[in-house]
Amino acid sequence: MSRPLRRVILVDDHDLFRAGVRAQLGAGVEIVGEAGSVADAVQLIKELDPDVVLLDVHLGDGSGDAVIVQVTPERPAVKFLALSVSDAPEDVIAVIRAGARGYVTKAISGAELTDAVHRVADGDAVFSPRLAGFVLDAFRSGEATAADPELDQLTAREREVLQLIARGYRYKEIAARLHLSPRTVESHVSAVLRKLQLSSRHELTRWAAERRLI
Amino acid sequence: MRIPQVERSTRDDAVVAGVCAGIAQTVAVDVTFVRLVFALLAFASGAGIVAYVGAWALLPGPEDTEPARRRRRVGGTVLLVWSGILALGGLGLSNSIVLPLLVASAGAVLLRRESRTLGVALIVAGIIIFVAHNSRGSATTLLAPGAVGVALIVIAGPWAWRVANDRARAEERAELAARVHDSVLQTLTLIQKDPENARRLARRQERELRAWLYPARASGMLADAVDAAAAEIEELHGVRVEVVHTGDAPLEERTQALVLAAREAMANAAKHSGVEEISVFVEPSAVYVRDRGRGFDPEAVAADRRGLAESIRGRMERVGGTARITSTPGEGTEVELEL
Repeated sequence: MSRPLRRVILVDDHDLFRAGVRAQLGAGVEIVGEAGSVADAVQLIKELDPDVVLLDVHLGDGSGDAVIVQVTPERPAVKFLALSVSDAPEDVIAVIRAGARGYVTKAISGAELTDAVHRVADGDAVFSPRLAGFVLDAFRSGEATAADPELDQLTAREREVLQLIARGYRYKEIAARLHLSPRTVESHVSAVLRKLQLSSRHELTRWAAERRLI
Repeated sequence: MRIPQVERSTRDDAVVAGVCAGIAQTVAVDVTFVRLVFALLAFASGAGIVAYVGAWALLPGPEDTEPARRRRRVGGTVLLVWSGILALGGLGLSNSIVLPLLVASAGAVLLRRESRTLGVALIVAGIIIFVAHNSRGSATTLLAPGAVGVALIVIAGPWAWRVANDRARAEERAELAARVHDSVLQTLTLIQKDPENARRLARRQERELRAWLYPARASGMLADAVDAAAAEIEELHGVRVEVVHTGDAPLEERTQALVLAAREAMANAAKHSGVEEISVFVEPSAVYVRDRGRGFDPEAVAADRRGLAESIRGRMERVGGTARITSTPGEGTEVELEL
């Protein structure tokens, strides 16, 4: 399996964690830079123009979405993969809405993380089970609080795919189970990501308010 | 503003308690001059004697610790105020001005330094005494304490606010420190002593910290009960159970059965799959338990294996639900429990 070498920047405010990720990342991934704050990260990413940024949801001087918002206008090709131990759904959703192509928890294994970096670099979306749960929740409450025309609802198929991701299925297994091609599964996931990024702030605020998150 | 610290002298120039010598050393005048001042003041209704005792209390010895110094400062200030009243009374000034002025200024001193509560109390007392003494006076004499009162509120208001804030923050910090000590530090110590169990200990710690940082949903709900069951399985079998949920439902007979069946499915996965991670997904009327372990042939399982037959299938069927078990040797197992 010959995948091109991916240039990665690691953004996390904990040195220890950065060292851990560095040690874990496998073949085909080269860490070209590291940053521990929003300001440093923005500068470094603009300078080095990496393929993928592994981005912590919480940084010392701000949150991960601030990095994405500041970098994307100048470097639209840089892909972000959020990485966090945090369970607060509104933080995770904020990073995804800012444009991250996926979210994985820090408990992920080295091999899986390496694979996720390659997939994000290829333009795919990477949903961990936890993110799938958050997203289903976000859309579910939109459904319960009457139809908001601004919020695109998930199709039955998209919901099915998300549920299987939440249950721990991999794309290939989902494809087999639903008699689809893995590419189709991926395109459903990307569609969900797009809907999430386009949905109105109002709707998500309400979702957060209902869950007493804000 | 930094007031140079005056200390009582302990050298051999001390005659009684080293007060005069201490003052003389600090302000660099002859000790005889200081003694003379105290002696003269003693004639003003004994003010000098009271002042000496007050100063003795107020001025710390070099060996005193900070709490001791603090207690002494309060007592000493009170005595010095008293001596001031005696002295100024001796000069023939009216008590109605001198007393409140002294009480209030002593309060101001304490306010800047140690005992803030007492300081404020003294300032207020000064104003009250002043008003009480002058209440029959003209409008201007009534206006003055009013103005002082307002000024006091302006000065003390922000300070009181800050003190309250600081206290709240300090309490928060103390609570956090206690929490970190009781949990994280203890766990790290345990891990150093017992590296064999590092994974299990770390996992338990993570769960505890998470529960504290993100308080659980209302208890008596399905998601909460599944979380608790997963925690038990992790504890018992040293595996990691990753629970994801969307939506929730109250616990009643049927959802209770769902929780118990799910717990059994998790226990089976922990015992038989050979892997260390189990995925659980909770919906309002369904729970899915999945592992990527060695799997088995469901047909080949002995009929008397109570786990699957009774605890999972039987339980679900009794409440009108279903349990579907899919397993492929080498690929893992999924248990789908639906109501």
